[in-house]
Amino acid sequence: MILRAWIRLVSWLVPREDRATWREEWLGELLANGGLYQDAWGALPDAWYLRMDGWTMDGMVRDVRMAVRSLLRRPFFTAVAGLTLAVGIGANTAIFSVVDGVLLNPLPFPEPDRLISYNHQAPGLGVNVPLIPHSEGLYLHYQEHASALAYFAVLSQGNVNLISDGEPQQLSATRVTREYFDVVGLPAVAGRTFAQGEDRPGSEPVVVLSEGLWDQSFGRDPGVIGTLVELDGVQRRIVGVAPDGAQFQSEELWIPLVIDEADPELGSLGLIGLARLVEGATIEGAHAQMHDLLLRYSETYPDEFGPDVMEQTGLDADVKPLKDVFVEDTRQILWVLLGTVGFVLLIACANVANLFLVRAEGRQREQAVRTAMGATRSDMVRQYLSESVVLSAAGGALGLVMAAFGVRGLLALAPAQLPNLLEIGIDGSVLLFTAVISLGAGLLFGMFPILGYARRDLSGTLRDGSRGSTAGRERHRVRSGLVVAQVALALVLLVGSGLTARSFVALRSVDLGFEQEDRMTFSLALPSVEYPDGESVEAFYRRLEQRLAANPGVERVGMINGLPLSGAKSASPLEPEDNPFPEGELGPIVEQRSVTPDYFATMGIEIEEGRALQWEDRMDQLGGVVISATLAEAFWPGQSAVGRRVRTQGGDFSWEVMGVAHDVRFDGVEDEPLPMIYYPIVNRDPSQAVVASSIDVVVRTAGDPLGAVSGAREALREVDPRLPMINPRTVETIVQESLAATSFTVLMLGIAAGIALLLGTVGIYGVISYIVGRRSAEIGVRMALGAPAGTVLRSFVGQGLRLTGVGVAIGLLAAFGLSKVLETLLYGVSATDPLTFGGTAVLLTVVATLATFIPARRASRVDPVEALRSD
Amino acid sequence: MSVRMTQVTALVLRAVAAGHRYGFDVMHVCGLPSGTVYPALRRLEKGGLLVSRWEETEQAHSDGRPRRRTHELTARGREALPAAERKLADIARLLGAVPDAPEAGQG
Repeated sequence: MILRAWIRLVSWLVPREDRATWREEWLGELLANGGLYQDAWGALPDAWYLRMDGWTMDGMVRDVRMAVRSLLRRPFFTAVAGLTLAVGIGANTAIFSVVDGVLLNPLPFPEPDRLISYNHQAPGLGVNVPLIPHSEGLYLHYQEHASALAYFAVLSQGNVNLISDGEPQQLSATRVTREYFDVVGLPAVAGRTFAQGEDRPGSEPVVVLSEGLWDQSFGRDPGVIGTLVELDGVQRRIVGVAPDGAQFQSEELWIPLVIDEADPELGSLGLIGLARLVEGATIEGAHAQMHDLLLRYSETYPDEFGPDVMEQTGLDADVKPLKDVFVEDTRQILWVLLGTVGFVLLIACANVANLFLVRAEGRQREQAVRTAMGATRSDMVRQYLSESVVLSAAGGALGLVMAAFGVRGLLALAPAQLPNLLEIGIDGSVLLFTAVISLGAGLLFGMFPILGYARRDLSGTLRDGSRGSTAGRERHRVRSGLVVAQVALALVLLVGSGLTARSFVALRSVDLGFEQEDRMTFSLALPSVEYPDGESVEAFYRRLEQRLAANPGVERVGMINGLPLSGAKSASPLEPEDNPFPEGELGPIVEQRSVTPDYFATMGIEIEEGRALQWEDRMDQLGGVVISATLAEAFWPGQSAVGRRVRTQGGDFSWEVMGVAHDVRFDGVEDEPLPMIYYPIVNRDPSQAVVASSIDVVVRTAGDPLGAVSGAREALREVDPRLPMINPRTVETIVQESLAATSFTVLMLGIAAGIALLLGTVGIYGVISYIVGRRSAEIGVRMALGAPAGTVLRSFVGQGLRLTGVGVAIGLLAAFGLSKVLETLLYGVSATDPLTFGGTAVLLTVVATLATFIPARRASRVDPVEALRSD
Repeated sequence: MSVRMTQVTALVLRAVAAGHRYGFDVMHVCGLPSGTVYPALRRLEKGGLLVSRWEETEQAHSDGRPRRRTHELTARGREALPAAERKLADIARLLGAVPDAPEAGQG
């Protein structure tokens, strides 16, 4: 019966002399009252009260003082045990503070539960399109009809050029509709946020600064409000300052996203939506409403997307807590890491428990004397527990210091996807976590010596010493069990780290389709005021290319509107002209880029067939494009694509395929290459106005790519002194950054596995050494009777191997069971990769054997006379 | 050893004085969880305001259950009763003083 078992379990807390009556009392009451489970919970506080009753404050102080003194008497033991714990606790604290800041804390906005991401998804598109945002038309439609939303805003992220003191400066700016600040719910710290109508055409251009920018660039001067600044060639009035923390993604200022209600742009789905629910509305409710509104929209504006397109793409509402959007990428990595460091702490505890067991063994005489002088069993328990808790508290304190430094290092290494608006650091909940795991660890490893020793009648110890005794068999078993557990845990971590390391290697050796060494890149944004049409933009690019190419050490110069792996996305449905898709059927979504002719040669992208682009390929001349091999194969399987024509689905203008380029990984190193089309750098009618021209310039250098930066800056200044050079870096850096999440996981798991291996090895070494020490007398006898040294050696190594073998077997099973957890983090290697599993098992066995060999060798060299005489 | 009179100890003391002799009866009449009532009973007993004893075995056996423990006030417990009453009255007055419940202040 559960009640009886519960009471029996809890009664363990009650001092022994009262235990039987306590049990009877509780059972009597519970049974007389119908045995309700909720009443039974009270047994725990009652038992705790009785236990604490004997522990007065004075007594506790005395216990702690005694524990400290006893620990200091063995400084080496204490230092090793304390450091082991500090490493385990510190690692847990560091990872937990990140988990706490990122996953557990709410967003730093008022009533964060009401904040939602309000967008679309289209599972029918197949390719990894995570989120389909809004068009201006959709935004206005929802804005008008969605009653579940208190506020709804759309935004688009970008950069602007600020000219101040003659120096151009690049600032990150988010264009937002007026309701943005109502959605996040934070008022201006100075001035005001956007007013009604400021996101409609014809109103005065305005800007809201972030507190950080106000601080750095304007010294918090309230006088700047109302003044004008020039951004991208437009004079904008500063109307106010919004607090830090109001950022969607670390932007420095906000500009109104101007939407013309009379003539909204349709078909371009690029505006990210976020909203604040009305009080009491649910996410499900908002989703249902959005779903209905989307259907209605599709009927009203079949031009943008009719019901047939909706059906094909599976376009539907996507409503989720805003927070989920921020932490999506990091959630799994963080949980895996927290689990990993949890394992490390368990291994550390096992090690310290073993140390304590050894120490308890050595203290039997002391215990016997104390018992003889009247110490009760409960006194012994208190003594052991206070020592272990004091030690783990010290380890916890040291671990906290380590974690404080560790968190800083962690954040420096962490992938950039970690949302920076979430606060990470050591705070109250982290302190509580550390306190709890320290206490838990102390009780966990403190329990072992109590189970092993405090129970025994020690009077025998005083009488006859411990020579050759075999009474410790049960304790050997406890200790061996600990070693087996350590080996098993270490194996799981090693397998995990081995798998991630292998997928990292696989990622590094992926054919990206371009070369990353000796290439420098920077970005530019051409303000449309100064570069109003295609002609002026092209003229600028050609001038800049010539000027850059004249720099010493520069071999080639190319430009593209969005480098691979840089996160840029732009796609549209295409079709082959000679085999168009029937009405209502959607062609493949093709990633599109505009490039200069030399882009391919600069990036080392092989042209597999035909030729690269030329300046004459522009729309009003030859009208030529280059497509990727994947796209060529999709449109004309097994045939040559050169000379064929492609067009935007349903479009009038068709482009001639001039060449087929080798596939390039654009989305991520781990993502399969997308079908691609490369247009000439100016791909619209060159006389037409351009909205914004943002471009990545790539420079292939003869030597150190970063050495070309200053020359490039000089060249840019000559061509247009008002343009800032944005984000100069090497192409290699871009590749590394896109691997940051994986390399971070690899590094963290590697460190954890390394610690686990070290602690596990020390554990085995310690146990075998200890057994050798205890049995030296026996070995002496055996050797005196003629046992050869080799047999003794083999017997001990065999003993170590048996423990290791059991641990490895259990560990392999556990790792196999946990393989699902890692599956999605892996690339190019199966989560149950036999090579990793086997290799890890071998590695651990070899290391463990070495750890056993050292003490075993000592045993085989025991001098029988010496061994028998001692003690 | 004297017992600090808290709301809980005062309530428990009064419940025992009113004849609720078993721990669980006290719990039910006071509406407090067992984890609160039991430590209070132990404190009162330790402070000499209560005594507890096991009920007669025959009684329990005839009902087919284990023995129960009964509590009774000692002389000191009866002396402490007025202090407990005062404590409870103080609390009632304190609660009555909340502006939201003016009518409670009348009595």
